[in-house]
Amino acid sequence: MNKIMKFLDRYLMPLANKLNNNIYLTVLRDAFMLAFPLVIFGSIFVVIANLPYLNVVLGEDGLNQLRTLLNVAPNATMAIMTLFAVTGIGYYLSKHYKVEAIYGAVISLSSFLILTPFNVIVGETAQTVGGVIPVERLGAKGMFVGIIAGFISTEIYRKIVQKKWVIKMPEGVPDAVSKSFSSLIPAVFTLTIFLVIRTAFYYTPWGNIHDFIYTSIQTPLMALGDGLVATLIAIFFIQLFWFFGLHGQIIVNSVLDPIWGALSLENFEAFQAGAEKLPHIVTKQFIDTFTVGMGGTGMTLAVIVAIFIVGKSRQLKELGKLAAPAGIFNVNEPIIFGLPIVLNPLVIIPWMLAPMVVTAFTYFVMAIGLVPPPTGVIVPWTMPIFFSGMLATNSLAGGILQLVNFVIVMIIWLPFLIAIDKQYYDKEKKEETAKN
Amino acid sequence: MMKILLACSSGMSTSLLVKKMKEAAEKKGIDCEIWAVSQDKAQEEMKKADILLLGPQMRFLKYKLEETAKEIGIPVDVIEPIAYGRCDGEAVLDRVIEMLKK
Repeated sequence: MNKIMKFLDRYLMPLANKLNNNIYLTVLRDAFMLAFPLVIFGSIFVVIANLPYLNVVLGEDGLNQLRTLLNVAPNATMAIMTLFAVTGIGYYLSKHYKVEAIYGAVISLSSFLILTPFNVIVGETAQTVGGVIPVERLGAKGMFVGIIAGFISTEIYRKIVQKKWVIKMPEGVPDAVSKSFSSLIPAVFTLTIFLVIRTAFYYTPWGNIHDFIYTSIQTPLMALGDGLVATLIAIFFIQLFWFFGLHGQIIVNSVLDPIWGALSLENFEAFQAGAEKLPHIVTKQFIDTFTVGMGGTGMTLAVIVAIFIVGKSRQLKELGKLAAPAGIFNVNEPIIFGLPIVLNPLVIIPWMLAPMVVTAFTYFVMAIGLVPPPTGVIVPWTMPIFFSGMLATNSLAGGILQLVNFVIVMIIWLPFLIAIDKQYYDKEKKEETAKN
Repeated sequence: MMKILLACSSGMSTSLLVKKMKEAAEKKGIDCEIWAVSQDKAQEEMKKADILLLGPQMRFLKYKLEETAKEIGIPVDVIEPIAYGRCDGEAVLDRVIEMLKK
């Protein structure tokens, strides 16, 4: 056992280091965080507009009117998620390179928009309507183009700034003026490159880079991310990192968030459009609200409750009391480091197994239609279970599924907890008799 | 006055410890300011601090944050996992005092 631990710690630590000190992944994570409060705002009003029995209280007409009024909240936030991600990438990456960040942000945004079609094709006659930006390109469908454009444009911008190809203003010129001039050449240069890219793609069968990246990169990646096998692998790694005391989600999500986020957004767009069946099962909420994040990482709220049921040793009882209040809000570090879970061979089986069983189970009940898949609404991760499940699926079934998952985790853990408890209890007894 | 900054993934679990550390500091009669932030804010916030403590689950960030910490001349330490799990504010505070004495 010790050898395996040493081996894993030797290889996992560097992997965690690499993933987390990778500047692109760090920037991407921060960029996604940027939109978080806005997306929560949008989510709140989606939930309100879809409260049960509203049609009874307001009547069909009243409800439609309410929805029309409230829908601007998600439309101005979630539906155009990619805009925030792109701006964030430009800002944080420029900041990292210590060049003027706000210019990096707007150049990144503009570069993305240059690649975006400014027209839509509508109707049976396929009429082209100009002067509009299709909202879908600013949401799920444009996510990967946005990420790629954001990084490339900011890299070009900062390289030119760092090469000092800038117009220098004489002393005495106000700071804001000289700053806008110093960004002039980098901005013009970067945006020109993107204009060339757009033009080049105009002459390809795709017509624009959006459709090219969507069909050749984003769709295959999303299909992979929506599958059960890839999800189980991701969850396995989250749990494995945590077993070594490293924050698994932070590490794994930095790679998978764009995919999970795009899956969520597509569900959200379908939900808003009134679709009967949502396109994806695995989404950001599938991971956070139903599987590995439910009741804290590794679903440990169920472990706390199990401790209250079977715990006899003072150590476990104290731990349960300490961890319970935070656990209700899905914060569980006391359990991870206090039980401990980290590097504890006694818990590795339930720790790795429980979330994976729950994942397969949740996937199954959603696939057969017993529980609707998440609507793409973002629920703050500190929301207690049962409520978070209902909010995420817009259905009571989501809350009930969480309770079932909770029981599954508890059953898997119980035999192991009893063994650990007995060990602690015997030790405490021995110490007491030794004292007397 | 000692200024102690704690950081973890979102500043939630470290804020549990902050509360316990404040209680311990009050008992000992130590004048200090203790607060917790999420890891992405740590780089900025540490400019206001005398020491930065990382939750053990974020220990892989130490290397990165140490660069900035060195520039402003403050130490970075990873909180001892057992003390972290038990929310042992006193143990963590003692360690800080010892580190800042050096």
